[in-house]
Amino acid sequence: MDVFIGLIRNILEEGLIYGIMAMGVYITYSVLNFPDLSVDGTFPLGMCVTAALIVNGTDPLLACVIAFICGALAGCLTGLLHVKLKITNLLSGILTMTAMWSVNLVVTDGRAVLPFYNMKTIFNSGLSELLPKRLYTYRIVLIALIAVILMKLLLDLYLKTKSGLLLRATGDNLQFVISLSKDPGTMKIVGLSIGNGFTALAGSILSQQSESANINSGTGMVVMALASVIIGTSLFRKIKFLKPTTMAVFGSIIYKACLVIAMQLGLPTNFLKLLMAVIFTVALVSSNLLKGGSKGDVEIPQ
Amino acid sequence: MKTCKRLFIYLIIISMVLALTACAGSQSNVETDKGNSNANTEVLKIGVIQYAPHASLDNCYNGLIEGLKEAGFVEGKNIKIDLQNAMGEQANSDMIAKNMVSSKYDLIVGIATPAAMSAYSASKDSGIPVIFTAVSDPIEAKLVKTLEAPEYTTGTSDVLPLEAQIKMIRAFLPKGKKIGIIYTTGEPNSLSHLESFKSLAPKYGFEIVEIGVTGPSEVASAASTLVAKGVDCINNFTDNNVVNNLSSVIHAADNANIPVFGSEVEQVKNGCLASESIDYISLGKETGKMAAMVLKGEKKVGEIPVALISDSEPVYNEEVLNRLGITLPEEYKNSTSVNE
Repeated sequence: MDVFIGLIRNILEEGLIYGIMAMGVYITYSVLNFPDLSVDGTFPLGMCVTAALIVNGTDPLLACVIAFICGALAGCLTGLLHVKLKITNLLSGILTMTAMWSVNLVVTDGRAVLPFYNMKTIFNSGLSELLPKRLYTYRIVLIALIAVILMKLLLDLYLKTKSGLLLRATGDNLQFVISLSKDPGTMKIVGLSIGNGFTALAGSILSQQSESANINSGTGMVVMALASVIIGTSLFRKIKFLKPTTMAVFGSIIYKACLVIAMQLGLPTNFLKLLMAVIFTVALVSSNLLKGGSKGDVEIPQ
Repeated sequence: MKTCKRLFIYLIIISMVLALTACAGSQSNVETDKGNSNANTEVLKIGVIQYAPHASLDNCYNGLIEGLKEAGFVEGKNIKIDLQNAMGEQANSDMIAKNMVSSKYDLIVGIATPAAMSAYSASKDSGIPVIFTAVSDPIEAKLVKTLEAPEYTTGTSDVLPLEAQIKMIRAFLPKGKKIGIIYTTGEPNSLSHLESFKSLAPKYGFEIVEIGVTGPSEVASAASTLVAKGVDCINNFTDNNVVNNLSSVIHAADNANIPVFGSEVEQVKNGCLASESIDYISLGKETGKMAAMVLKGEKKVGEIPVALISDSEPVYNEEVLNRLGITLPEEYKNSTSVNE
């Protein structure tokens, strides 16, 4: 029972933190219809910026904010490459991702791993000090939960504003945006900035939890985030009161749960990548089937 | 109004989670006490995290098992070993470490720096001892305070015998001037090795020409760039990326008829001329002995000094030697050839 609770705690910790990234990727992938590969570079960017700041004694909360801004700037770069220089969406993401490798190394002063054990982080200062002692082991889940809810509410609020509506229209119906005499390119840049800002923030929070930053941590992030978004939005499609942002976070938790269950069942880690691909495929296929099903219902009477 | 309602729902969710975790928290305390009291009679669980599939790291693991066996801990009898490979990904390594902590393992062993770091950060609150192996610079990785009194974790460190290596290169190439080095910017061990190698080079009259690469695809072009710069040989450290693409380095060097020096016996078997080799099995064995001490409760991890293993043995590849037309130096006449 105790072990079980511990495992659930791990799933929630990881799922929630990566959930912030999933929300960001939801904006680029689902709303903007932009397969953004720069995520593989901006996630470690968030980590490295945070580590560099915390090592130099910056307040951890401020470090989160700065990480978000740095991520947003990187996203902005992807957007500019795509919109202004007319580079295809995949390539501009790859360009940013590649460039971020060098940027990250500059940030960490050439070190591939930058640990900051026993320094001030959001998990051992500020809000977490207010928590009662016996909740100490749950502080990471609680703070991650608060961060996720806060970011989710902010994102939901933004999507309701005029700018947010335009952002959604940019992905859905480009002509509509143009007919309003608005520039869809600007909206793409805004969307990419938000998406990568969220990703960098997730990196920042994760690095504060593990108390170290690793240059190589970006590998596989795009796949993980996309899988989370797709699992979340396809599984919870029918539940009307859930916002897609919440679905993305749930997707991330389910994704992590699948991995933990597989590991606990004794699946050799050599097969993890295969498992990832299978989960991904199942989510994609089930979302297609669900869509197909509802269409079929309409088509029969015709 | 609607936002108010939503906010209210979130508040309820947070308070529910708080309440639940509070119950769980108080419950878990009771259960841990129980767990500790009958720990002596049960089979001890040891979690091993290996960072990546790699011949030297595999040897570390095999040595660890041997070391534990010598101290009386046999897999399946009084210990249960759970080996997990993180496949070279930090996210996997963190997840594995967390799961091991939640499953209340009695000891976690991290093989290679990132795995050791994951294990340390995951186990910090739980008091589960962590032992590392194949970590070249545990102080830089902040895994220990000092080598003598590590305080947080302990383990074995593989210090590459760089001085012996450069001495060997000098013996093989008496007229050589430039040593070319390819290293991966994302690997902390390579960076620290490079720095110490650079500071050693002038003493033996060498100049270092280094090229940093970021991934597997760049190794081949880096090797031909080095050759074009007129290096007299190429030297490898334990850089995972370069070692995995060793054949392209050797190919480029062969075209220019210059030798490649390795850092361990496996590389020499694969076509390097020679190397001062660390025995990773004995590194693992030493780690196993430490683990046994901790499991028996003789010492705490923080009290065992970090063991630095730098004893090396020269090995060479006779086939490559003949092909390049280099004569075996007098002082290395007794070293072993991998072709035998």
